Amino acid sequence: MAEAPASDESVAERLRAVLVTSGASGSWDWDIAADTLYFDEHFADLYGLTPEAGVAGVPGATFFSAIDPEDRARMKIAVAGILGGAELFSKEFRIQRPDGSVLWMHGRGQGHLDDRDRSVRFTGLLVDVTERKRTEERLRIAQSAGGVGTFEHVDGFATASVSTEFCRLLGLHPARVLPVRTINSVLLVGDKPIIPDTEQTGEPLDGEFRIIRNDDGAERWIARRGEIVRDSETSGYRFIGVIYDVTAAKQAEERLRELNETLEARVQEEIAERRQAEETLRQAQKMEAVGHLTGGIAHDFNNLLTIIIGNIDTVTRRLDSSSDPRAKRSLDNALKGAERAAALTQRLLAFSRRQALDPKRTDIARLLAGMSDLLTRSITETIAIRIHAPGDLWNVEVDPHQLENAILNLAVNARDAMADGGNLTVEAHNLVAEAGNTAAFVEAGHYVVVSVTDTGTGMTPETVAKVFDPFFTTKEVGKGTGLGLSMVYGFAKQSGGYVHIDSVPGAGTTVDLYLPRAADGEAEAAAEESVQAIELGNRDETILVVEDDDDVRTYTVEILRELGYRVIEAHDGQTALGLLTRTEQPVHLLLTDVVMPVMSGSELADRARAIRPDMEVLFTSGYTRDAIMRDGRIAPGLDLLPKPFTFASLAAKVREMLNRSVA
Amino acid sequence: MSTEPAVTLDELETDALTEIVNIGVSRAASNLRKMVGDQVLLSVPSIEVVSQRRAARLINEREITQLIAVRQDFAGPFSGRALLIFPEENSLELVRAVTGDELSPQEVQDIEHEALAETGNVILNSCLATMANMLQRSLTMTIPEVLRGDGAALFETRDETAADGLVLFLYIDFAVRKRDIRGYIAMLMDLPSLQALKALLGEFIERVVGDDG
Repeated sequence: MAEAPASDESVAERLRAVLVTSGASGSWDWDIAADTLYFDEHFADLYGLTPEAGVAGVPGATFFSAIDPEDRARMKIAVAGILGGAELFSKEFRIQRPDGSVLWMHGRGQGHLDDRDRSVRFTGLLVDVTERKRTEERLRIAQSAGGVGTFEHVDGFATASVSTEFCRLLGLHPARVLPVRTINSVLLVGDKPIIPDTEQTGEPLDGEFRIIRNDDGAERWIARRGEIVRDSETSGYRFIGVIYDVTAAKQAEERLRELNETLEARVQEEIAERRQAEETLRQAQKMEAVGHLTGGIAHDFNNLLTIIIGNIDTVTRRLDSSSDPRAKRSLDNALKGAERAAALTQRLLAFSRRQALDPKRTDIARLLAGMSDLLTRSITETIAIRIHAPGDLWNVEVDPHQLENAILNLAVNARDAMADGGNLTVEAHNLVAEAGNTAAFVEAGHYVVVSVTDTGTGMTPETVAKVFDPFFTTKEVGKGTGLGLSMVYGFAKQSGGYVHIDSVPGAGTTVDLYLPRAADGEAEAAAEESVQAIELGNRDETILVVEDDDDVRTYTVEILRELGYRVIEAHDGQTALGLLTRTEQPVHLLLTDVVMPVMSGSELADRARAIRPDMEVLFTSGYTRDAIMRDGRIAPGLDLLPKPFTFASLAAKVREMLNRSVA
Repeated sequence: MSTEPAVTLDELETDALTEIVNIGVSRAASNLRKMVGDQVLLSVPSIEVVSQRRAARLINEREITQLIAVRQDFAGPFSGRALLIFPEENSLELVRAVTGDELSPQEVQDIEHEALAETGNVILNSCLATMANMLQRSLTMTIPEVLRGDGAALFETRDETAADGLVLFLYIDFAVRKRDIRGYIAMLMDLPSLQALKALLGEFIERVVGDDG
């Protein structure tokens, strides 16, 4: 095609042939040397020229006549390139139709050179790409809005055509063509290539890649979707596709996964906690139920014991020396049995924590000495017991029974920690705690420290941290209540003291009970022991006995009358108040049971005092739970005679109160 | 990345320069075709004026390996240094392409330097001569020289005083089928030379577009 067209027919023929094969909108043939432009009817139609002019030829510059003024300069420069010797022409520009409409055209042409590389002809096709331009515009907007980058790679070539968005996504300098190597260089080591060097059959075309963005070094996730198409030009393959950033989705996925994982763990934790709580609640409810039961039994049992002990007492006192000594022995045995029953009841009450604390000035040395027997019996023979209490110990103000209980509890724990035997030491010493030089948990002051030390298994710090928690136990379910140490703790706190545990796993445990020193003075002995002689009453002194249990009341009234007091009685609070209102004579002492139906002992006491302000009130109870308790200690100014009481203890208590009243 | 270059080409000037270089590249391709005896596809280059540092970065971003370059200095109304740059690994492939696969690997190695210099000369000469011709000026050119190094070395950005110059950066794709060859053309010019080039482009546009541009 290096020569000029020979005739009109041959030009038209050639143009038609080109058109048929290309399906183009129009074609041209520019003879540069002759400065003449030939074109086909479609070109003529687009330019508003006649087909005849296309065949005859028009001046070369006509090529620019229909081109939109905005594109004209650009196209003149491009054509100048061809006229100057460039080979390829591929431009997009607008043309204005005669009817005023504007079409986007893609002009694709070729410069033809002669032997001396001079341009002689410029041929090409015009394709209407208006529709494609609009589509491209939509696609471009969609791509930039959606953050989608496109690429196209021809198999066997080292470069790929890419979009601006593609470069942006990978953090590369914007370009239309990038080496495949450059594109793949943003990948984290070890990942599959974004664009494979050669066609990899079998490799999925969809993939996700981790990259280090080239411009800012950020690590991102990029997804690739694409298709392999057969390339019509090279008979090879084209890989055409898109990439987009899926980092946010990946991160969300990751967070969700983590959340799911931790959710599982959290649920498990919650369930475990819940189970623990349920177990604790169950245990607490069990203890509450047992406590109710025990308390109820103890109350009735103490009434019965009061009658039994009282009557044995009475018979014993009436035996004279001439009686059969075997009868006396039998009565003694019966009394011992009843006393043991009373002790058991006491322990049941302690166990159900429904016993009021009754603090007394206590001599620890004497208390420990008294426990020796009990400890020996409670602890197995493989364990050597040593009790050490110096004689110069200060007195402390505690409930001696509860202290015994606490020490026994600790001793039993120590025993359980020494399954294979060992040494148990219970000792006491005085301690002056000064601010700054003693353990932080102890306030400055004077204490008697009672220590229970074993050489057993010891505990980890984690266990030590929990041992005072109610219901915490290291023992098998059913073996321990989990209340032992918490009762010890509660008792120590109630008594104004502290508990401290020092434990080394494998080496043993020491529990120290810090008990505050009491004001100086003689230690109070247990009530029974303090009574040396029975002091009698006289008929001037009137006692009102209120007791709903007829047998107990009868027994109580009998004792008091035997002691010489004048006694009036009532079986409930209402009757008692009636008696107090009606009678003119003085009533010196109200002796009332605490737990009675309708009106409790304390209510009765309050209302009775309103009538007779000077009257003393003595409560008796086998079970003193809420009725007269304040914070577990008997409220100040209240006197309590625990059931079962004996002739001697009742006599002493009544006398003590009446004497106080007179004083 | 340093500040933007003080001289920028507007859209038409860029188009004009692109077309001019296009002509040069066409001629180069035509010449290479004669040498290689196979189809050589040269993509229409895109053109950018960037700082020397930026040019070094552009190259380093695209090419991980060592580079090999053919250098020719030019002087005239605008003066500077033209570089045809390939990844080093492409060098023997290019030599093999232009020598027609008839030489043994040893022979290819032996003539590598010479063949590269010749190929570079064909391409750079075509571009520069076309530019001179189209802008109606004349340029003198030195004998080609082969260099090796990374982007920073080629653009001399390690030399602080020289780093302020500008680079006319052309990306060309030497997509020789099954040959995996690609390259770049860079023209380093100082500010006055680039201003002179800009003025000449203006004249060219005036000539081509005329009054109705």
